[in-house]
Amino acid sequence: MNKRGALEFSFSWIFAILVGAFILFMTIFAIVKMMDTFNQEKSTETAKTIGVLLNPLESGFESATKSLIKTQVETRIYPDCIAGTSSDYFGKQTISISEKTSSNKWSNLGKTISIQNKYIFSEDYVGGKNFYVYSKSLNFPFKIGDLLYLTSNSSSYCFIDAPERIEDEIENSLGAQNIFFENCPEESIRVCFSTSANCNVIVRENQKSVRKNGEIVYYEGDALMYAAIFSSKEIYECQLIRLMKRGEQLSLIYQKKSDFLYGKIGCLPEISTDLIYLRQKERALESSSDLFSLVNTVETIEIKNSNMECRLW
Amino acid sequence: MVNKLNKQGQMKIQQISFLLIVIFLFFALLGMIFLSYYLKNIKEKANELEEKNAHLLVSKIANSPEFSCGIAYGSSEKTDCVDGDKVMMLKENINKYSDFWGVKSIEIIKIYPEGFNRECTNLTYPKCNSIKLINSSTLGNSASNFVALCRKENYKGEIIDKCELAKLIIRYEEFN
Repeated sequence: MNKRGALEFSFSWIFAILVGAFILFMTIFAIVKMMDTFNQEKSTETAKTIGVLLNPLESGFESATKSLIKTQVETRIYPDCIAGTSSDYFGKQTISISEKTSSNKWSNLGKTISIQNKYIFSEDYVGGKNFYVYSKSLNFPFKIGDLLYLTSNSSSYCFIDAPERIEDEIENSLGAQNIFFENCPEESIRVCFSTSANCNVIVRENQKSVRKNGEIVYYEGDALMYAAIFSSKEIYECQLIRLMKRGEQLSLIYQKKSDFLYGKIGCLPEISTDLIYLRQKERALESSSDLFSLVNTVETIEIKNSNMECRLW
Repeated sequence: MVNKLNKQGQMKIQQISFLLIVIFLFFALLGMIFLSYYLKNIKEKANELEEKNAHLLVSKIANSPEFSCGIAYGSSEKTDCVDGDKVMMLKENINKYSDFWGVKSIEIIKIYPEGFNRECTNLTYPKCNSIKLINSSTLGNSASNFVALCRKENYKGEIIDKCELAKLIIRYEEFN
């Protein structure tokens, strides 16, 4: 009888232990999952905040601006570009964030934030606690958008033999703090304008090309030149196509405005046909190597617009 | 005797099971309370971010190329100046821009001088006071900014620039 009692006692204990262990396991599992969710939520919030903080970088009369974004913990920003489709015409700028957790590990990427009206040029990811975002508007021939160059204070750039206008703009208009022209930090990324020895990035102003990691991209104007320097080839080419799609729509708007002003107040639609031609070229652009084909049209339109009685922009 | 012992054993198992269920339900309830607080907190944060986004956007949207005057009105570039003629052309082509600025609606209301109280269309422009661009059926919170709304006019055979005071209003989504 005692034996049976002992068996009965141990069975209830075994039952309690099994169910208790199950509850404990479920609780630990839930806590681990919730910690993941918290980290993801925090990363998503940071990504959204970064997206919001990029709004003031829409430039007005100033040609270039700068903004500093500080994060509380070590952060990796993963900006990406999604080219437009028929349903999503202008494509998207996406931002994902991974943050260093208290256990010194990188959290899973948070939810991806999508923004249609931003163009971030950067490497595949940028890590650090302080991020410098430089902004310069792309005028081609009218303003198409503001290009945002995302860099971190943990990486610095050394511009070697840069033309005076570049040095002047970076030091005065942008007030860049991680771009140097002399006394460069040893580990800085070397951007060369006339030499090509011991350089990470080579800018050929006569060819309007930038060579980086063995790959060449082409540019028109300083805004796109900076974009090519600060970003990976994939991001640069994708953002360029997005920008040209916006340019195409702006060409259409200006062409319609030109026709409208002619009908309303008799302003001659001097560049209406040029704008149609520009639209076609912008639509056909597939890579930066096609940029040259737009230059003549852009220059013609720019000159005609500045001499018009009713300037369109 | 055996039956009594069996019944006692069953009772004990029932007691432990009941206790465990109560403990489980207690923790589940705590979890539910925590989750609802957490979700409420997320919604509040999302609303705060949307509000901040809208306020920053409305202060800068006039500088975006689809709205800005550039140097079309005068020799220098102006801030917070909206090109009315251009915006009317944008209105015709707004479908592609429906999600572009990430807001529910964008409206420009002419404030001064007061004039015709009607929506601007191809037929009524410029004798109207409201340009509705993106127009959502549902109402949301709004943020606004004062801007100069400029257009070209033909005055006695001379082409002139005419700028009026307007309010640019954007409405954004609110998470409930």
